[in-house]
Amino acid sequence: MSESEAVELLLVEDNPADLELALRALRQAKISNRIYIARDGVEALEFLFCEGPHASRRIWDGPKLVLLDLKLPRVDGLTVLQRMKEDPRTKTIPVVVMTSSQEQSDLIQSYALGVNSYIVKPVNFERFAEAVRQLGFYWLLLNQPPVRS
Amino acid sequence: MNSAATPATGDHGTAAGERLAAVGTAERLEASLREIRDLKAALDQHAIVAITDPQGRITAVNDRFCAISQYAREELIGQDHRIINSGHHPKAFIRDLWTTIGRGQVWRGEIKNRAKDGSFYWVDTTIVPFLGENGKPRQYIAIRADITERKRAEAAAAHLAAIVESSDDAIVGKDLNGIVTSWNQGAEKLFGYPAAEMIGQPVARLIPADRLAEETMILQRIAQGESVRDFETVRVRRDGRLIDVSVTVSAIKDPAGRIIGASKVARSITERKQAEATIQELNAGLERRVAERTAQLEAANRELEAFSYSVSHDLRAPLRAMDGFSQAVLEDFGTQLPDEGRRYLETIRSSAQRMGELIDDLLAFARLSRQDLNRREVDTGLLVRRVLAELGNPWPGRLVQLRLGPLPACVADPALLKQVWVNLLSNALKYTRRREEAEIEIGWARSGGPDVFYVRDNGAGFDPRYAGKLFGVFQRMHRLEDYEGTGVGLAIVQRIVHRHGGRVWAEAQVDRGATFYFTLGPEAVP
Repeated sequence: MSESEAVELLLVEDNPADLELALRALRQAKISNRIYIARDGVEALEFLFCEGPHASRRIWDGPKLVLLDLKLPRVDGLTVLQRMKEDPRTKTIPVVVMTSSQEQSDLIQSYALGVNSYIVKPVNFERFAEAVRQLGFYWLLLNQPPVRS
Repeated sequence: MNSAATPATGDHGTAAGERLAAVGTAERLEASLREIRDLKAALDQHAIVAITDPQGRITAVNDRFCAISQYAREELIGQDHRIINSGHHPKAFIRDLWTTIGRGQVWRGEIKNRAKDGSFYWVDTTIVPFLGENGKPRQYIAIRADITERKRAEAAAAHLAAIVESSDDAIVGKDLNGIVTSWNQGAEKLFGYPAAEMIGQPVARLIPADRLAEETMILQRIAQGESVRDFETVRVRRDGRLIDVSVTVSAIKDPAGRIIGASKVARSITERKQAEATIQELNAGLERRVAERTAQLEAANRELEAFSYSVSHDLRAPLRAMDGFSQAVLEDFGTQLPDEGRRYLETIRSSAQRMGELIDDLLAFARLSRQDLNRREVDTGLLVRRVLAELGNPWPGRLVQLRLGPLPACVADPALLKQVWVNLLSNALKYTRRREEAEIEIGWARSGGPDVFYVRDNGAGFDPRYAGKLFGVFQRMHRLEDYEGTGVGLAIVQRIVHRHGGRVWAEAQVDRGATFYFTLGPEAVP
């Protein structure tokens, strides 16, 4: 995938198996093929704020949706979420937390930071695929984002 | 002492003429006799008189003797004094009396006698021996005065003095200038000064320099007729040691009611003060330990949270991979696999999913301990009907007969209580599913203690020998093929009930149904 094509979806996931399954589910749902993958919180922030290897990217070019795991190496998902929602340039990007955690504290903090959806990844792949299909359909196709200037 | 007999000898020699002398002597004798009779009459009015012969036999008594001894004169004449002996005096005392008067000497003393009715009286006694020509006593005259009242008062005073003396409290008398007038043993013990060193000295010696004003205040209040009660202060002992004392001071009045001094009762409260200090120390120690223990518990709780957090995150990820990639193999290569291979992959998937359920239930169970209880009044009947509606009939086509009467309200955390009913009622539905006609009864009972709620079914029941394992985590009474489940439901019920201070128990027979009972409050203390 090249950066000349605007990235529609940022997938932040460190677990390779989960990553592969998520991509499989997205592919099956025919959501998007313009996906950028970040393997930890630092990569995600560099991509979002056009830093380091992404210095040439324009911050206005998306993504349209972030799928964010919470437990990540280096910088964790809640910090990524906080940085995005603090910055006027990124705070309107919908963020869906996709995590294994059913802990109340994660849920409460995520919503306090302004998360748009919170999905607990089910063990059952069919249910996982269904969840990915629905949220991709909603946030990428149905949702009407504000025009960013 | 036989001079007492002088008037009886009548030796009044004069130098008058014989006749005249005879007339004069007769007149003088007459006058003397009159005088003696008068004296005797006066004496009888005042004193108790008895005359005895040399052997001690009573030869004469006056009316007062009869009155005080309660004996008639006839009962006394001819008897000796043993008739009124009280037994109070030692033998040596009596012997000394007889030796004295036997030698012709006057005896004086106080004697305790016994009257006819057995009561005792005290007499101040003078016994005068009168000697015959042979120089031996010819008779004794005993003159006595009743001193019973005085003796009684003395005994009472001695009793009071003994009480004061034996008291552990310091009891000190002082005059209005603060000079010590009496000092008991308790005072010696408390302040360390013997009485000889304190009587006549200012009581201010006991007062630390910075508290001297207290004594002025106390004396002023006493002079105004007030008293000082349980005044807690500090005094200084002879050895210089300071002691905590509680002091009560009240006025001493003379018979006319004038305040002439004060009595001070002082009690050491050093031990009490030390006990108070010890209690304070113990309390402080206890609070410290509670704080430490609380910190430990909080740390343990944080560790538990961290633990369940990582269980929640990390243990489920590999299960998703097992399930997801098995599914991927089935989807992508299913046609190339024999039936057996596809069945194996399905088994991997269902096992992974079951482990996911086990982890979820275990985490839910662990979360119960950390969750705060939010108690309020709950309409139990409404809650149960709502739970039943949510559960529906998971196995349609069979008949479920529900017996549900009115239920009393209770006080509980509504969300947790709902979980209890969900688990018990879904169990009842699950374990009756092989019955053509399932019967489920929901009821309650009241018996002195907290209300007992129960759910009774006619389902599979269980062997009561294993009832002890019923509420353990992952404990199951039935094979998974027969009844699905993780074995956490009843453990959750028990945890919730216990957090409410209640009790849960069950009765059952294999294949004859089960009844689960629970309460939501502590048992009444009998």
